[in-house]
Amino acid sequence: MTGAPDLPVVLLAVLLPFAATLFVPLCYRALGERTGYVGAAVALACFGLLATQHGTSGTVGVPWVPQLDAAFRFHVDAWGLLFALLASGIGVLVFVYSAGYMHGESSLPRYYAALLAFMGSILGIALAGDLVVLFLFWELTSVCSFVLIGHHDADPESKYAARMAMFVTVGGGLFLLLGVLAMRYASATALGTATFDLVAMLENPEAMQTALRETGLFVPVLLFVAVGAGAKSAQVPLHFWLPNAMAAPTPVSAFLHSATMVKVGVYLVGRFRPILASPEWLVLFASVGILTMTVTAVLAVAATDVKELLAYSTASHLGLMVAGFGFTSYYGAGAGVFHLLNHATFKAALFLVAGIVAHQAGTRRIADLGGLRGDLPITALVTAVAALGMAGVPPFNGFYSKEMLFEAAYEAGHELGGLGWLFPAAATLASVFTFLYSIRFLSMFFGEKPAALGEVDRPPLTLLAPPAVLAVVAGAVGVAPSLAEEVIVGSAVTATGGNPENVHFGLPTHVSPALGMTAVALGGGALLYPFYDRLHDGIRSGLARAPAVRANWWYDLSLDGLDRASVALVPRVQNGLLRTYVAWLVGTAAALALGGYLAAGVDVPPVDLLGTSGVILLVLLVGVVAAGFMTTDPSQVLGVLLLSVVGFMIAIVYILASAPDLALTQLVVETLTLVIFLLVIEELPAFYGEIEGWTAARDAILSLAVGAAVFVTVLVTSNGPESELARFFTENAVEEGGGTNVVNVILTDFRGFDTLGESVVIVIAAVAVLTVVLMRTRGESP
Amino acid sequence: MSTVIMRTTTRVVVPFIVMVSISLFVQGHNLPGGGFIGGVLTTVGFVLIYITFGLDDLERVLLGEVATTGGNPFEDRIVDAYRRLFVFGLALAVTSGLAAIALGYPFLTQDYVILHDVPIYHELEFASALAFDLGIYCVVVGGLLTVLSVVGSE
Repeated sequence: MTGAPDLPVVLLAVLLPFAATLFVPLCYRALGERTGYVGAAVALACFGLLATQHGTSGTVGVPWVPQLDAAFRFHVDAWGLLFALLASGIGVLVFVYSAGYMHGESSLPRYYAALLAFMGSILGIALAGDLVVLFLFWELTSVCSFVLIGHHDADPESKYAARMAMFVTVGGGLFLLLGVLAMRYASATALGTATFDLVAMLENPEAMQTALRETGLFVPVLLFVAVGAGAKSAQVPLHFWLPNAMAAPTPVSAFLHSATMVKVGVYLVGRFRPILASPEWLVLFASVGILTMTVTAVLAVAATDVKELLAYSTASHLGLMVAGFGFTSYYGAGAGVFHLLNHATFKAALFLVAGIVAHQAGTRRIADLGGLRGDLPITALVTAVAALGMAGVPPFNGFYSKEMLFEAAYEAGHELGGLGWLFPAAATLASVFTFLYSIRFLSMFFGEKPAALGEVDRPPLTLLAPPAVLAVVAGAVGVAPSLAEEVIVGSAVTATGGNPENVHFGLPTHVSPALGMTAVALGGGALLYPFYDRLHDGIRSGLARAPAVRANWWYDLSLDGLDRASVALVPRVQNGLLRTYVAWLVGTAAALALGGYLAAGVDVPPVDLLGTSGVILLVLLVGVVAAGFMTTDPSQVLGVLLLSVVGFMIAIVYILASAPDLALTQLVVETLTLVIFLLVIEELPAFYGEIEGWTAARDAILSLAVGAAVFVTVLVTSNGPESELARFFTENAVEEGGGTNVVNVILTDFRGFDTLGESVVIVIAAVAVLTVVLMRTRGESP
Repeated sequence: MSTVIMRTTTRVVVPFIVMVSISLFVQGHNLPGGGFIGGVLTTVGFVLIYITFGLDDLERVLLGEVATTGGNPFEDRIVDAYRRLFVFGLALAVTSGLAAIALGYPFLTQDYVILHDVPIYHELEFASALAFDLGIYCVVVGGLLTVLSVVGSE
C-alpha cells in the first residue's frame, strides 16, 4: 500500500453519476433509447477513475460541518475500493444490458436517472470516511431503489413491493442512525473529541471498543448495526422484501439485488468489524448469517419463478457473507470479502441470464422451461460457469470462498463446543440446498424442451455480452484464485480486520474438515436431486399450511393493522368539525405540558393572592363573572359579547401591570375578533342546542386541564429573579437599537428573525384561506 | 348594519382610526406601538368601512371602478390588491434584512441615525428598523384584510 488518493479523482468519481443524472432528460431527448450507453460511459468513467486509485490508501475530504466534525471525507482502502469497483464495473454492464432490455418501455428518463443516482450513492457508501456521509448515501440508496422497484408504476404488485422495500430498508437505516450517534458519543471518550470521523475510529479500534463498553453502549450499537445491515442485506427475519423486489425490471434486480444495494449491509458489517469484533459479535452475526443462509436456501428450493429463486438464493449468500464476517477468525474475513466478489460476478450474471430467458422465451416459470441449450448455446455456457460457482463446485469461484466459510465455521464450532457445532452443521445443510437450486436453475438449459416453448430466438448482443463478461471474470477467478488475492482481495481482507495468516487461495492440497463438509454438501445435493420436485412441493405445502412462519405474513398483518387503526382513528380526531380539532389540539398540548412538569418535578411557586393589588383582583373578578355567565347563557350573540368582556378585562390587567404595548395590542385584536365573530355569527343558529351530560363533563374536564396547564406555565415561567436576558435587552435597547421601547426594539432588532417568521405565518394563513375558498367555489372539497 | 347613524359615525371615525394607527406605527420605536399593532388598527378601520358600506364601495373608494366578478374572491380586484400588499410587505421585510448582508453585517442587522437640525422636530431619529417594521405593517394589513374580505364575501 503506497501513496495517498487524489481528492479530485475520488470526488469526481462519486459526484459524476449525480451530475449525469441531471442531464439524463436532455440525453433522452437527443438519443432516445440509446441513453443507456451514456449511462454505461459514465459508469466506465467512474470505474476508470477508481481504478487509478488502486493501491493507494488514505483519507481525503472537504469540510462540511466543522462544529460537529462532520466532513465529506472519503476513505480509500482496498475494501472500499473493491466494493466501489464492483458497483461501477457491474454498472457498466447493467447500463449496456438495459439499453437492449428496456426496449419500448415507458418513463426511461426516470429509470436511467434513478439508476445513475443509485450508482453514485453506492460509490459514496463504499468510499465514505465519515459516518454522516455514510448514512446520507445509505438512505439515498433506499430512495433510489424505491423508485426503481416501483418502475412499473401502474402495477399494484410493483407498488406494493416498492413500498415494502422502502419501509424495511429505510426503517433499518434509522437504526443505523442511532448506532452512528452512539458511536459518536463513544468517540468523545476514545479519541478525545466527539467526531463522526469513521477513519479515526478505525485507526483506534481497541480504544473505541473500550469506550463503547464503558458507556454501556456496546451491545446497543451492535444491535443497531445488525438491524441496519440486516434490513438492507435481507437477513432473517427481514429477508422478505427481497423476493418481492423482483417486481423490478431484471437489470435493476441484477444491479441492486445481487451486486450492490443488498451488499451494502455486508459491506457495513465488514467495515465496522475491526471496531466491534468480540465474542458477542461472533454469536450475533454468525447466528443471523447462518440462519439466513439456511432458511433462505430452503425457500429458494420452494420457488417457482426463476427470479424468485435467484432472490432467495441472494439472501442465502448474503447470509453466508454476514456469517463470514461474524466469525472473528481470519478465514471468516476471507470468506466475507472473497464471497462478496464471487457472488457479485456469478449472481449478476445469473440475473441477466434470467432476463434473457424471460425476454426470449416469454415465461419465468421454472417448470415450463427446459432444454434451452440448443437455442441459446452461449447463454447456456455462461449459466454453467455461474451456476456451478453458486453451487460451490470446484474449481469454480464460489467454491473457494465457501471453503473459507466452512473453515471459519469449523474453527468457531471447535472453539465454542456444544451448540457451537451447529454453525458448521447448518452451513453444510444450507450448502446442500444451495447445490440443489443451483443445479435446478442450470437444468433449464438441459433435458427435454417442453413443446409449449416453441422456437426461442437468439438474444441480441447487448443482452448477451454483459453476462458473458461476468462469466469470464467469474471463470478467471475460479481458475486462478490467487490472482484475485494479489490484485485486491488480500488487502481488503486485512482492511476488514483479519490478521494476515498464511491463507491458501486455491484448490485444497490436503484433507481438512472444510473439504469434508464440501464433500458432504455436494454428495448430499447430488443424492437428493432426483427428489427435487417432491422437496419443492413439500416445502410449499408446509408454508401454505402455516402462514405464521412466513415473515411476509407478519408484515402484511402489521401493515393491515396500521391501516385499520388509522381508518378507525381519523374520524375520531379529524371529523371536519372545528371543535373536535381544537379539543384534540389543546387537550394534547395541555397533557404534554402538565405531563412534562410532572416528569421534571417542577416546583410550582405559591400564589400570593394577598400581595396582588385590589384593582387587579376586581378587574379579574369581572372577567370571571362574565365567563361564568357566558357558559350559562343560551344566546350566541350574548356569549360572544361576554367573551369580549373577558378579553377587555385582560387588557386592563395589562395596563395595570404597566405593559402598554401588550394592552394596546390586546384591545385592538379583541375589537377585531369581536367584529369577525359578529360577522360569522349571522350564519349560525341563534341559540345553542341542548347539550348532553357526558359531552358537558368532557368539555369541563378539558377546559380545566387547559386552564391548569396555562396557569402553571405562567407561574413557573414568570417566577424568579429578573433574568439575564431581560437585563441585557433593557440595557442595550437604547444603545444598540436606538429605541426606548424595549418591546419593539426586541421585535425589530434583537429578534428580527422571529418577527419575520411571524409575518410569514400571517401570509401563509391568508393564502390558505384564499385557497380553501377558491376550492370551494370550484366545487372541490378541501 | 347600514343605518344612518352607523354611516355617519364611520365617516367621522375612520380617518381618526387610520391616523392613530399610522402614528402608532411611526412612534413604535420609542413609545407603545409598532408595525403589528398599527397594522391591526388600520385593518379595524377598513373593517368598519366594509361592514357599513360593503366591499364594493370600499373598492370604489380605493381603486376607482368596480368590476362585477360574480362573487369569486380570486377575481376581486380589491382582494388582489390586498394580496399584492402582503407580498410587497414580506418582500420589503426580507429585503431590509438582505440590505444588511449587502453592507457586510449579519442578516436583519438594524441600525439607526439621528438627524440633527431638522425643521420643527430639531432632532429626528431614523432607524433602519422602520423599513422592516413597514414590511410587517403591510403584511398584517394585507393578510388580515384578505382573510376578512374572503370570509365575509362567503
